[in-house]
Amino acid sequence: MGFLVNPIAGMGGAVGLKGTDGLVEEALARGAVAVAPRRAEAALAGLVGLDVLFLTAAGDMGEASLRRYGLRCRVVHRPSGTSTAEDTREVCRCFIEEGVDLIVFSGGDGTARDVAGVVGSRVPIIGIPAGVKMHSGVFAVSPQAAGELIRGYLEGNLQTRETEILDVDEEKYRAGTLDTKIYGVAAVPYQPVLVQERKQIYAASSEEDFKEEIAAFASEFMQDGSAYILGAGTTTAKIAELLGVEKTLLGVDLVKDGRVICRDASESDLLREIEAVGRTKIVVSPIGAQGFILGRGSQQISPQVLRKAGPENLIIVATPHKLKETPRLMVETGDPELDEIISGRRQVICGYRIAQRKEVVATSKVGTDGESP
Amino acid sequence: MKTKILLDEEEIPKRWYNVAADLITPLDPPLNPQTGKVIDPKDLEMIFPRELIRQEMSTERWIDIPDEVREILKLWRPTPLFRAHRLEEHLKTPARIYYKYEGVSPAGSHKPNTAVAQAYFNMKAGIERIATETGAGQWGSALSMATSFFGLECRVYMVRASFDQKPYRKSIMQVWGAECVASPSELTNSGRAILKEHPNTGGSLGIAISEAVEDAATHDNTNYALGSVLNHVLLHQTVEGQELKKQMATVDDYPDVIYGCVGGGSNFPGMCFPFVPDKLKDKKEIKMVACEPAACPTLTKGLYTYDFGDTARLTPLLKMYTLGHDFIPPSIHAGGLRYHGDAPLLCNLVHDGVIEAMSFHQNEVFKAAVTFARTEGILPAPESSHAIKPAIDDAIACKKTGEEKTIVISLSGHGHFDLSSYDAYFSGNLVDYEYPEELVKQSLAKIPKF
Repeated sequence: MGFLVNPIAGMGGAVGLKGTDGLVEEALARGAVAVAPRRAEAALAGLVGLDVLFLTAAGDMGEASLRRYGLRCRVVHRPSGTSTAEDTREVCRCFIEEGVDLIVFSGGDGTARDVAGVVGSRVPIIGIPAGVKMHSGVFAVSPQAAGELIRGYLEGNLQTRETEILDVDEEKYRAGTLDTKIYGVAAVPYQPVLVQERKQIYAASSEEDFKEEIAAFASEFMQDGSAYILGAGTTTAKIAELLGVEKTLLGVDLVKDGRVICRDASESDLLREIEAVGRTKIVVSPIGAQGFILGRGSQQISPQVLRKAGPENLIIVATPHKLKETPRLMVETGDPELDEIISGRRQVICGYRIAQRKEVVATSKVGTDGESP
Repeated sequence: MKTKILLDEEEIPKRWYNVAADLITPLDPPLNPQTGKVIDPKDLEMIFPRELIRQEMSTERWIDIPDEVREILKLWRPTPLFRAHRLEEHLKTPARIYYKYEGVSPAGSHKPNTAVAQAYFNMKAGIERIATETGAGQWGSALSMATSFFGLECRVYMVRASFDQKPYRKSIMQVWGAECVASPSELTNSGRAILKEHPNTGGSLGIAISEAVEDAATHDNTNYALGSVLNHVLLHQTVEGQELKKQMATVDDYPDVIYGCVGGGSNFPGMCFPFVPDKLKDKKEIKMVACEPAACPTLTKGLYTYDFGDTARLTPLLKMYTLGHDFIPPSIHAGGLRYHGDAPLLCNLVHDGVIEAMSFHQNEVFKAAVTFARTEGILPAPESSHAIKPAIDDAIACKKTGEEKTIVISLSGHGHFDLSSYDAYFSGNLVDYEYPEELVKQSLAKIPKF
């Protein structure tokens, strides 16, 4: 198993820096302390006694934490001086070469991006949450939960699924603009919850089965002659796969009558195409750990696009697994009035010809009544 | 003021009421899926006794209940009609709320009303053994008890997933002398075929039906029995509504509305069919409302057409409201209401506007169930609670209008085997499933009909 700690992850948070990318010195000057090693160790505490060889990087990039818990390890990389993103990537390349079964890292969205950039979905990844921003779906809900996931996966009790890697442009974020992008896809182990013990011949309990059910249903209702904007993500990608069209996984595509009419569309492309094709519907799926249906990862589907297509033509799709993990879905289009229209108890397609009622909350509303996102 | 309105044993109805005699539109007959022609009653003789086939086809208004059957019904019938004084006070409503409680039967629901009759007619026909399927376990339990009364053997094929989840259902069937096996099983060809390919399957109602039908068709001494949907099943349940009418008369009242839950449709038709002639011939103003889950809204969102009664396409084609025989309702906690179609007799009356239908989400249904339990004491089955929900809403609406409406709830069973569902409700883990009607219509538009 590969294990690495981004020792500087999370340092900017407590000192008000909204992330630590490019600002380690500043964070240290403001009195920040390292959080990632401590969080990593909280996960490792649950692994004591497990017969596994950990491959890791020297010092505070992993080795020190492992030794503290007496876990068997071998160092595959030594950073020269303060560790950098390049060190993270290098360690991951070593992990791949050595053929590890699982990679565990302690960090935030930036670290997830670096790890997934090298590993892709070749080897499952588990993130121990230690960053300032954790939008990606690779993070366990707590370090303790990460420990349980690691143990469960190594003991062969878990399945893996694909999830999106998201990150925020920190410079823009500090300037007041939240711009989240999807940077890739990673494989993550998960506990297969028995979401539905359906009266079905073959108990469909894997998330992949439900993505296929949703896609099968969508491929039926999408033949109504309307154009469909397919948002980013793995669930909408499955719909495209079933329709036999090539989808931009990280972008937004426009599909009509089983053909792509605009690939990787920008906001202006979408506005132009809606004008041209007429009746247009929008299919989106919650992205990342917080369950954003709009406002994260699909900025192309802007308030103008939504208004032009008509907010009543927004179709939300999500697997029961995802819906179980997120108590409610979030929307933040940048247009509070539109967010208000979209929020409320909405229908979410979760399988073949079946839906759930789910609360959709406008982030602009969150906080005003004392709630946190 | 009376709380329990009781009848004497002698007042158990002596005849079943057959609504087929009073329909506005005659019932469309079941069709043979191979030929598209009306089913020949002889085709059914391999798995049903002649008397039940006769009842299935009959349009006579009244059919005598054999004394032997009435003797057994005396064990729990007539069932009590309660006036829900405490619920009324809690709601501060001017409405009068009544509930007729079928949970007093030994099996805990209305199912024994037909199980006893079916076991009896099979026994009379020289049948020694009955095979059936059960999903949640109510029907299997009721038939186990009924067959034990007539000295018949009984084998119940119980959907594997439920078999594992509700082990006490198997226990109670065993107490009544039946053999309850998890389906798919090694006992039938259809079961073995599925197991060979999918050894870890959780089973399905479709497979369990196939196994029970195969069992009945391959054993000379064995017949098959069904606990819902068919005309003769609804017929046997009409003892409920006949009693209700007498009970209401003893307190000089008459229902303005009857609410009852519908899965395949047997309890609710049993309660309200005897009131159908009042509405059609005597022009009485009575509303009868079928209550179904939003996750499986057959009457409110389905198509009125011929469809198979089962997923495996083994049954004749029945004219009914259907969500499609391939529709698999999500696993809501009212397991007894998860059926893609509904009884043809009930569908006929809904289609002709005599009976209405409404659907509800499970969280609001459980909320109503808890209010009911905290005021009236009885723990209702999740299925039955679908009828409590609109009754409470109706009673609350009466506060505004001041109407002293007479509301009747058909309380089909208790929820003592459903406590894990109540746990799920209290822990906030109940998902509100629903049927995406518009999108389904959109998909059906392009799909060729079978």
